[in-house]
Amino acid sequence: MRVLPIFVFGAVIAAGAYGAQQMGLLDSIAPTEPSTPVVEQASAPPIPVVHQPAATPANGIRRPEAQGTVRSNSDEKVAQNNAASSSPPPPGKPAVDETALRYFASKGDTKRLQAEIARLKALYPQWTPPADPLAVQPIGDTELDRMWTLYSEGKLGELRKAIADRQQKEAGWTVPSDLLERLAVAESRDQLINASNLKQYQTVVRLASATPSLLTCAEIDVLWRVADAFVQTERQQRAIEAYDYVLANCADPAERLATMQKASSALPREELEKLLTREKTGPDGIGEFASVRDDLARRGVSAGGADPKLVVDPADVAAVERLARDGGLETDQLLLGWYYLRRDNAKAAEEWFRKARDTKNTAESSQGLALSLVALKRFSEAEDVLYQWRDGSDEILAVYLAATAGLLGMETQTPIASEILQRIVPVIYEARDVVNAQQLGWYALALNQFQTAAQWFSTALSWKPDDEPSAYGLVLTRARLGDRVGVRDIQAAWQGRSERIAQLGMTSTNPPGTPAAIPNVTLPPRATVPAGSDTNLPPSSLVTPYSATPVSPLSPVPAMPAQTGEAIFPNGAGATLPVTPQAAPAPVSPTEVRPARQARSGTAPARGCRSTIPPGSLSPQAALDRGWCLMNMNRPLEAAPAFEVALRSGSAKIRTDAAYGQSLAYLRAGLAREAAVAATKAPQDRQRTTELRTAILANQATEAFDGGRYVESLLALDERARIAPEQIDLMVLRGYAYLNLGRLGDAERVFEAVAATGSREGAKGLSAISDIRNPQGGG
Amino acid sequence: MRRQVIVLIVQLGLLMSNPLSASAQASISAADWQAYKEHFVESSGRVIDDANGNISHSEGQGYGLLLSYLAGQKSDFDLIWSFTRTELLLRDDGLAVWKWDPAADPHVSDVNNATDGDLLIAYALALAGASWSRTDFTEAAGTIARAIGTEAVFETQNRMLIRPAVKGFDKDERADAPVVNISYWVFEAFPALSSIVPDVNWQRVSDDGIALISESRLGPKELPPDWISVATRPKPAAGFPDQFGYNALRIPLYLMRNGNRDPELLRPFLKGMSGADGSVQLIDIESGNVHANLADPGYRIILALMSCVLDGVKLPQDVRTFTPTLYYPSTLHLLGLSFANSEHPECLQ
Repeated sequence: MRVLPIFVFGAVIAAGAYGAQQMGLLDSIAPTEPSTPVVEQASAPPIPVVHQPAATPANGIRRPEAQGTVRSNSDEKVAQNNAASSSPPPPGKPAVDETALRYFASKGDTKRLQAEIARLKALYPQWTPPADPLAVQPIGDTELDRMWTLYSEGKLGELRKAIADRQQKEAGWTVPSDLLERLAVAESRDQLINASNLKQYQTVVRLASATPSLLTCAEIDVLWRVADAFVQTERQQRAIEAYDYVLANCADPAERLATMQKASSALPREELEKLLTREKTGPDGIGEFASVRDDLARRGVSAGGADPKLVVDPADVAAVERLARDGGLETDQLLLGWYYLRRDNAKAAEEWFRKARDTKNTAESSQGLALSLVALKRFSEAEDVLYQWRDGSDEILAVYLAATAGLLGMETQTPIASEILQRIVPVIYEARDVVNAQQLGWYALALNQFQTAAQWFSTALSWKPDDEPSAYGLVLTRARLGDRVGVRDIQAAWQGRSERIAQLGMTSTNPPGTPAAIPNVTLPPRATVPAGSDTNLPPSSLVTPYSATPVSPLSPVPAMPAQTGEAIFPNGAGATLPVTPQAAPAPVSPTEVRPARQARSGTAPARGCRSTIPPGSLSPQAALDRGWCLMNMNRPLEAAPAFEVALRSGSAKIRTDAAYGQSLAYLRAGLAREAAVAATKAPQDRQRTTELRTAILANQATEAFDGGRYVESLLALDERARIAPEQIDLMVLRGYAYLNLGRLGDAERVFEAVAATGSREGAKGLSAISDIRNPQGGG
Repeated sequence: MRRQVIVLIVQLGLLMSNPLSASAQASISAADWQAYKEHFVESSGRVIDDANGNISHSEGQGYGLLLSYLAGQKSDFDLIWSFTRTELLLRDDGLAVWKWDPAADPHVSDVNNATDGDLLIAYALALAGASWSRTDFTEAAGTIARAIGTEAVFETQNRMLIRPAVKGFDKDERADAPVVNISYWVFEAFPALSSIVPDVNWQRVSDDGIALISESRLGPKELPPDWISVATRPKPAAGFPDQFGYNALRIPLYLMRNGNRDPELLRPFLKGMSGADGSVQLIDIESGNVHANLADPGYRIILALMSCVLDGVKLPQDVRTFTPTLYYPSTLHLLGLSFANSEHPECLQ
């Protein structure tokens, strides 16, 4: 049995009907509108059809001319002029069923009228169309007219019923085969479209096979659905045939383009070549599928941007470059940027990303540009480009941090502008980025900011205890600080894990010119951070909030660094230093709110205050919430203004909480004076008052000690001891204050008490006293 | 008085015992059909379930086809079939999607089938195809019946059963699978489908359905639940109301229409379903309590028919006349009247 593929139109299986070769003639007429709109065909060729309103039911089937007369089909106008008034055909000759013709004429449906005329002429080459299809003899078949009306309105069930009713009532009546055929086709079309909408693809193919007359250019929607059904059921070759049929036979430009677009989204590119050869060229020399070719080129470049190993046709790249230059579309520019970046052509990538960013500053273009700049080692530009977008995604943040790390780690170090540093540091801190923390350590070290360097190295280690470079940096820094014990601690911790740490020799850390008699006194334990300890205090930023204070001349301990007040720049912008997000470590405070470590896995519990919002725009309650959120994220200097806004609340409860919060914030930032002021801004209950007061006093004691004002420090400690018990670390502070004031007896008493608790600091302090009393000679 | 319409049937040369070759006299009057049609059949050919958001479903279309056939209404059959075919017979496997909602877009949102609808549609097509010499109907019936045999008939524990739908009732879809619904056994359809698709063992399906009835008499009232798990011995299926309900009340009607007069099979239904004044009781299986009393004559006729078939009690007057109420009881009413007219005219004397 000969198997005909579904799309053979030269010889349709159905009994002898359509033999014409030209596709236009086989355009079946679809009086029922397809469910998806199909672009209207071009206007009908000019045939003078007189349209009269259907006043009287002028029905009738006009019998054609005598079949014997041969008419020239090409000369329609002549034929029409020659068409005389109707005369009945000779008996025995088949009558051409012109019902539909008359019907469409009466509806004024020129398009379908033409199609019907063409169809009938294909069927009956000897037939000539009537000059005026309306002017036919009515034979009073209102019922048939009603049937055609039902058909045209898509009331197919009713039409079935009407036909069946009439067949029962009128024994001699035969259904016009044309009507029946059309009805079956319309039902099949409805069913096919319904099945297609429900993705029942086998049904679609089955119906299409059974109803080949549906597969013509007038039913482009059906053709598309059938092609799609083939695609979805993995019959790619059939789909290609379907699309190819359309492009080979159908004329409407919009439909052709849509067909090519559908094919290009459904089929792999290799299969499209055949279809693209069907492209027609317009009078302007531009192919009708130019936009599809452009999109294919874009797709090629885009795939190349995703996979560096992919071989991309240079013609595609050239095409997209041309499109990008001519059209200036940001998307095209981005495509090229990613393409070049993936192929390590950072220069070209930078050019295209910059163009894209100039077109529209977006996260993506900024990210791409930053990546290119990082590859080109232009870190400062990269940081600048990406700063505003850093919160866009984890990926972008990673790029930003790469830029900052590069910036900090640059060999030829011009000082980084303070406002840049100020914005970088909080990001690094919040991201817990080890590499950047380490780089900050080196940066500080290079500028002799030893305390700060130590704090950053320690922080890096707290985030990643096995980070050897940070440990190395820390041991170096401690060496510079003369912190022997600290050095030994690290060497012990890293024994066997790091050659260079092990080999670090402890040279004398006495600054030149100091009396050698007094040996080094270890720093108060507060400033010593053994490797690996978890401190939840932020290290100093590289710019500190309060101005430098001179070392008290009373200090016998030359090694005591007085660097916490130092400005970072040699020219010292100390007095007018701006408030920074991270300040000196706060003293140990019992009320300290433990900053919640934000997991950087995308679960952002403090999502609400990640971004910058001016607190003045918030309601007092919202400002209060934001303040606590910021405290949780360890941004006390941003929290303070938020709490200030909350202090404006009419609610006493909110004001109390806000004052409390602000005081804590200033304590955290090491601003004891401000903390004390804040505490008074609203009444607190006794518990909080005590809490704040003890913290403020502890803070003042520490601050004074750091500034070498040991008497002041002791006064603060004394006052504090009156309202709260003195913990070990403050006792140790007291001990060293006495020591530095030469009050060895008092110091000894304190250190003995400390030693009695089992703390090693007691022994250390006693040892220090003993050293002073019994100097061992130069050291 | 009902006007009987006599339709000439072309003998297909089949045995007289073949149900499809029996001459069909209309057993539903034109007036009754007209009334039903006006209430429940839209001009497009869709049958409207007016108790259910005016949706259409394959069950309704099947009933519409069957009733129009029984009423001898060829053109209405064509009408209903046209809608059924173009809007519901869409599934790749040849079965019908079960639900069509006028208020939804698209109208069909769930492509699952409902096997009783497919059975009714195939059955009506088989009848009409034979009676009216419509090979297109017979062919369509065959396609659907074959699909039912392939997709919906299955074996479990030596029984040949019908799954209520292709999706949702099998192992790895529910814990207590397989789950079946006895009222989906349209008993009268099986002999008709045997004629056109003989390689499916419809007889066995029918017999095993009847056996299942006997095994599913549960609770104090000894009635089968609407939805039954047959994973082990029959018990109510999880997640459905544990009831002899709207589904199961059809079972005795289907049995009778298929010529079954076995008192052992029917009397428990008559006993368990009968409420006060001849109304139909819906029963909570486990407690045996009455869940609802249904007074619509479309339900009552089922009891009345059983009384007549078993005990010769003539149908009471109020169920003899048909007035459309809601789609479901009205459908059952006409099926009942059709049965009485063609098989038990003595019940109407």
